[in-house]
Amino acid sequence: MSLAVAPETEPEVAAAPPVPAPDAAATPRRRRAVPLLRSLVSTLVITVTVLLLASVVTFALGAVSDSNPAAAALGETATQADIDRLDAEFGLDRPLVVQYLSWVGHAVQGDLGRSWFTTIPVTDSIKQALPVDLSIAALALLLAILVGGSAGIGAALSNGGFFDRLVTLVCSVLATLPPFVIGMALIVVFSVKLQVLPSGGYVPIEQDPLEWLRFAILPSLALSLDVAASIARQLRTSMVASLRENYAVGAEMRGYGRSRVLFGHVLRNAAGPTLAVIGLAIPLIVGGAVITEKLFGLPGVAQLALQSAERGDVPVVLGTLLTTAVVVVLASLVVNVLQTALNPVARREGAHR
Amino acid sequence: MTTLRNLWAVPTARFALVVLAAVALLALFGEALAPHDPLRQYTDRVLEGPSADHLLGTDYVGRDVLSRLMTGTRLSVVGAAEAVLIGGALGIPTGLASAWLGPRLEWLTLRVSDTLVILPFTVFAIAVAGTLGNGLQQAMFAIGVLISPIFFRVTRAVALGLRRQQYVEAAELMGASQWWTLRKHIWSKVLPNVAVTAAQATGAALLVVASLSFLGLGVSPPAPTWGGMLASDLDYLAQQPWAPVYPGLLMMATVGSLNLLADAVREATGDAPRRRRKRRSPSASPSAGPSAAAPVNARKENADA
Repeated sequence: MSLAVAPETEPEVAAAPPVPAPDAAATPRRRRAVPLLRSLVSTLVITVTVLLLASVVTFALGAVSDSNPAAAALGETATQADIDRLDAEFGLDRPLVVQYLSWVGHAVQGDLGRSWFTTIPVTDSIKQALPVDLSIAALALLLAILVGGSAGIGAALSNGGFFDRLVTLVCSVLATLPPFVIGMALIVVFSVKLQVLPSGGYVPIEQDPLEWLRFAILPSLALSLDVAASIARQLRTSMVASLRENYAVGAEMRGYGRSRVLFGHVLRNAAGPTLAVIGLAIPLIVGGAVITEKLFGLPGVAQLALQSAERGDVPVVLGTLLTTAVVVVLASLVVNVLQTALNPVARREGAHR
Repeated sequence: MTTLRNLWAVPTARFALVVLAAVALLALFGEALAPHDPLRQYTDRVLEGPSADHLLGTDYVGRDVLSRLMTGTRLSVVGAAEAVLIGGALGIPTGLASAWLGPRLEWLTLRVSDTLVILPFTVFAIAVAGTLGNGLQQAMFAIGVLISPIFFRVTRAVALGLRRQQYVEAAELMGASQWWTLRKHIWSKVLPNVAVTAAQATGAALLVVASLSFLGLGVSPPAPTWGGMLASDLDYLAQQPWAPVYPGLLMMATVGSLNLLADAVREATGDAPRRRRKRRSPSASPSAGPSAAAPVNARKENADA
């Protein structure tokens, strides 16, 4: 419904952009006509550019590496002839630009090459490992939003009270600990002392969802608390500010109930900055999944990447990095779209970025 | 100097400075002060609790925990500092430059920073270890590169805001070279922001370094680090559930102090002129006419001080 408001508010901003947008002067009329389409196109261009740059960074890492397939597969016994033969087999004797283009070209089609060590296609290995991380990360994000959201709302309502101070204290403490320490604390409490949850292992979600939850809840909780703290802090700050705004006071004066004002008016405006925090937290969650995976012995992407890194198996390592980057970009895109749908102001900012 | 005295007046900042000074002392002299050799294995006293000659107990091969903590401070802290230095060296010049570059190059630098932001620390560090080799320098390089966007954004935001200030425009109109403007006007405003960012980034880097040593990246095992100690404690949680508390507390104190200090610096340098501006502008704007005059004056004074 916010989409309908956009055309009315857009022209004023296009007339006086707060930031000197380089292309604003060139196409002012077109922007006024199709602001939504324009912001969509610019988001798309940015996303594609970021993905391309990520692939360049990833490929560059492989290019400057001095490991080669012969060393990975044959070890010390590799002769120069072996090195040349395997280099030719994996196409490493071609110019770098050709290698990059063929790598990206294949990657777009879902083919990340073969492992130098086992010659198993990288995509297959990742396909096996990725659902573990994705399900853990998704559950962690959900927990973070639930825990952080309720803590933030509660703190804002008891502004300055006991609960507010408690939330602030817990958030500050959580921010000073690496996520795996939180995970260790959870293991000590729930697995060692109470012995109610397993300290490691994994059951795929499609096999037995309940069993999966039993194994996934501790890793997800460990992963989520850090992000929950940032969400709570941001939500509290923006809600305390919004509650004092005229529209909130006015709505209450007109006789709307407190919960109606809170959830219908204030939360909607406070959600924008919080969504931005969630967007920034996505790389943290995905990167943190790697650590909790190791901590709880889950068979995910991290184990794959770590094992491959130890063997110098470059295609697998690059494949995992690129896949992670794509996952993060896609998730950020979803957050971005949500933010735009929620808040016309964010949509205007997006056009100027 | 004034900034430091202002900081000392804030109780939290004083606490943070004391803790950080203690950590710095440990980083410098921890090895010499340690009561035992951090690598010596007292094999008959494995996994012991605190006692008179091992104040914090011993670990799974009988090494003295207190000595390992004290000796490990240097590698943990120096590693984080190195990563932040690399990040600053990459991020600050590019951030300043992007405020002056043409729109196309500016767009590209922004996208590069976007790209570095989306790469998760751990996965990138694993990839760097897999391609460039596993070592402290490679790990710090990886963290430094991924930290640089923070510096880039902060520097760029400040520089962009200042470029349109009237006194900067005036200086440029009067023929000041870009280099002179940069040094005289921009840098003094960028520096406090960079200091705040650096303090926060060091805290974040400490946590990432710890996470990486937990994964076995960076520092090789026998050498003690906080993260490495936590990682080795994991296998013996059933026997020694309290063991992670010591390195965890030390890390909490350090990172927490860095965060407190960052907040205090921000308040000491950032909020003061804004408060002054708010008090002045109501009286100044009706009489002086141009409403922009008051904030500019306030900022000017702050830059001179």
